[in-house]
Amino acid sequence: MITLTNICHTFSIGKKGQERQVPVLKDVNLQVESGEIVAIIGKSGSGKSTLLNTIAGFLKPDEGKIVLNHKDTTHLSEAEHAKFRLKNVGFIFQNFQLMPGLTAFENIELPLKIQGMGKNTRFQTVRKIMERVGLNEVLDHYPNELSGGQQQRVCIARALVTNPSIILADEPTGSLDSETEKEILELIQSLNQSFDLTFVIITHDEEVANSAHKKYRMHDGQLQEAIYSAV
Amino acid sequence: MQFKDQLDFVRQHVKKNRMRIFTTILATTMGCAFLIVLASVAFGLQNSLKKEVLSDDTLTRIEVYNDGNKEIEPTEIKKMKNVNAVTMNTLIQTGNLEANIGEYKGSPEVILTDFKENEKANLKLSKGTYPEKADGVVVGYNVAQILLSKEDEKKLEKEKDASKINIGIQESMIGKKITLNWKNEETKKKVTRTFTIEGVGPKPKKEWEQDGTIRISKENEEALVQDLKTLYGKKLKAEEMIYRTTAVYATDLEAVTAINKALQDEGYATYTVSQQLEEMNLLFLALKAGLIFVGTIAILIASIGIFNTMTMAVTERTREIGVMKAIGASPKLIQRLFVMESAYIGVIGTVIAVIISYIVSFAANYAIPKILYMATNEKKFLTTEIQFSAIPWQLVVIAAAISIGVAILSGWRPARKATKIDVIQALRQD
Repeated sequence: MITLTNICHTFSIGKKGQERQVPVLKDVNLQVESGEIVAIIGKSGSGKSTLLNTIAGFLKPDEGKIVLNHKDTTHLSEAEHAKFRLKNVGFIFQNFQLMPGLTAFENIELPLKIQGMGKNTRFQTVRKIMERVGLNEVLDHYPNELSGGQQQRVCIARALVTNPSIILADEPTGSLDSETEKEILELIQSLNQSFDLTFVIITHDEEVANSAHKKYRMHDGQLQEAIYSAV
Repeated sequence: MQFKDQLDFVRQHVKKNRMRIFTTILATTMGCAFLIVLASVAFGLQNSLKKEVLSDDTLTRIEVYNDGNKEIEPTEIKKMKNVNAVTMNTLIQTGNLEANIGEYKGSPEVILTDFKENEKANLKLSKGTYPEKADGVVVGYNVAQILLSKEDEKKLEKEKDASKINIGIQESMIGKKITLNWKNEETKKKVTRTFTIEGVGPKPKKEWEQDGTIRISKENEEALVQDLKTLYGKKLKAEEMIYRTTAVYATDLEAVTAINKALQDEGYATYTVSQQLEEMNLLFLALKAGLIFVGTIAILIASIGIFNTMTMAVTERTREIGVMKAIGASPKLIQRLFVMESAYIGVIGTVIAVIISYIVSFAANYAIPKILYMATNEKKFLTTEIQFSAIPWQLVVIAAAISIGVAILSGWRPARKATKIDVIQALRQD
């Protein structure tokens, strides 16, 4: 569950001493129930990525309150945020953000290594998740040996491997062709149903937004009324 | 993250930047090896000098002098704690002495001593045993060569170098009778004593030393001094005829300092080898510290390389660090991984440096005497055991601590920089 209350954030832009204050999030309120897929759609510069970064804890809001899974994360330190993310939040990136020197298996294994999980348990967990996202054939392939769709599946598997309840996706299909995009969206929906996962998807693609349960439009740092999808 | 996984992570990155890491390790190795080899010279020379000092005497020996303040009382000294034996040797330094074993004659020195105390002090003989009776003597190791027959003297006249010809008594001295004659040239009177040789003293530890003394039991002292006084005139005082040297032997090395202090407190003037060693050790400590300091500068220069390598690693891996942080790696973990990488460079560099240093040290000890011999044609360089370089484990520990410590410190700042990387900026990098 995600609750954002009156979130405001301002960027300082310009040379030192001549900075300009640009508000990017203006009094944003958002409620995402557990097991929901919520899409936030908007043009470039509308503030949707900033909102996602604020939920993730990469940015501290100037004002407001963030509650994730009933925990107030607004004022957590960097280390506390990292610990919280490791347990509760998974990330799907537009450009996959895979480690080039690691195989698909090792990339997915990485969060479990950070958690300090033992080798045998890690192996079984990763194999299970790879099977679930359809990556059985490519476990020892390096990212540059994988297609865009496969790389995004690896990224999704890495987000899911620690069994989080919240997945934050920043333009998850932004680098994919329409056919692969469809496959990935189907996978997200299927995972949402299987694991009761909460998804927040940032996109500028109407089709992606339409696949969500709820769709919010972001404009000039403000979140507009929710549109409920037929999905 | 488990320690093994952290090590794997570091190893993976080292593999990826093999060439860069190799050159950094090489610089660390050179710095550390320079430190060890440089300091090993001081350790080696100290060992050689120590050996020289120790070969001169035993460590448990404390010489006691009568500097006019206090008469030496062996019985009192013996009562002191941890005193094993007290030997008091009395050198007869007056008169014209001639010793002869059959046709062999010479002028050795005569020393009166307490054989039981010598035995207790564990002063070993090369042959025979310490005499039980007053007519038994122990002759010095070189007495057999000092006593010459007329034939020997003729041989010596022809060949000045005694080492090239066989002179003196060739067979065993044990059981032979030795006669000591003190003559007064003016009155032509004589004092004669005959003894049986029961023991031969130890071989002198230094090549140039010769032991030509005849040690007789101190039981003979009173009568002999009286006779010699009669022979040379009653006016001669006993103190002028004899010269006493007293040595106290401690039960073990640890007791030497305490006994020495107790003797000094009693008003005796003393000297121990350990005193000399202490002074020498202090001097070498300063030398070693100086050389280690110079060697540390080499390591500090190598640390600039580690700093550069680690700074480049952080810059190159900014995106990776961003991803790690995004998926839940704590800043502490990120810092630890980078510090471990610099420590890895330090450890590998140090291990190689230690191996190289031992090889260099061994080669120096083997080759330098030969080179010096070739340059000077002096055979002593080949025969004497001068150690030019020694690497004790303490030096390895000091060098490793400096080298690995400096490596960790060099990686500290880049590692701190890595923890401060902004996730959003990092994820935007290609």
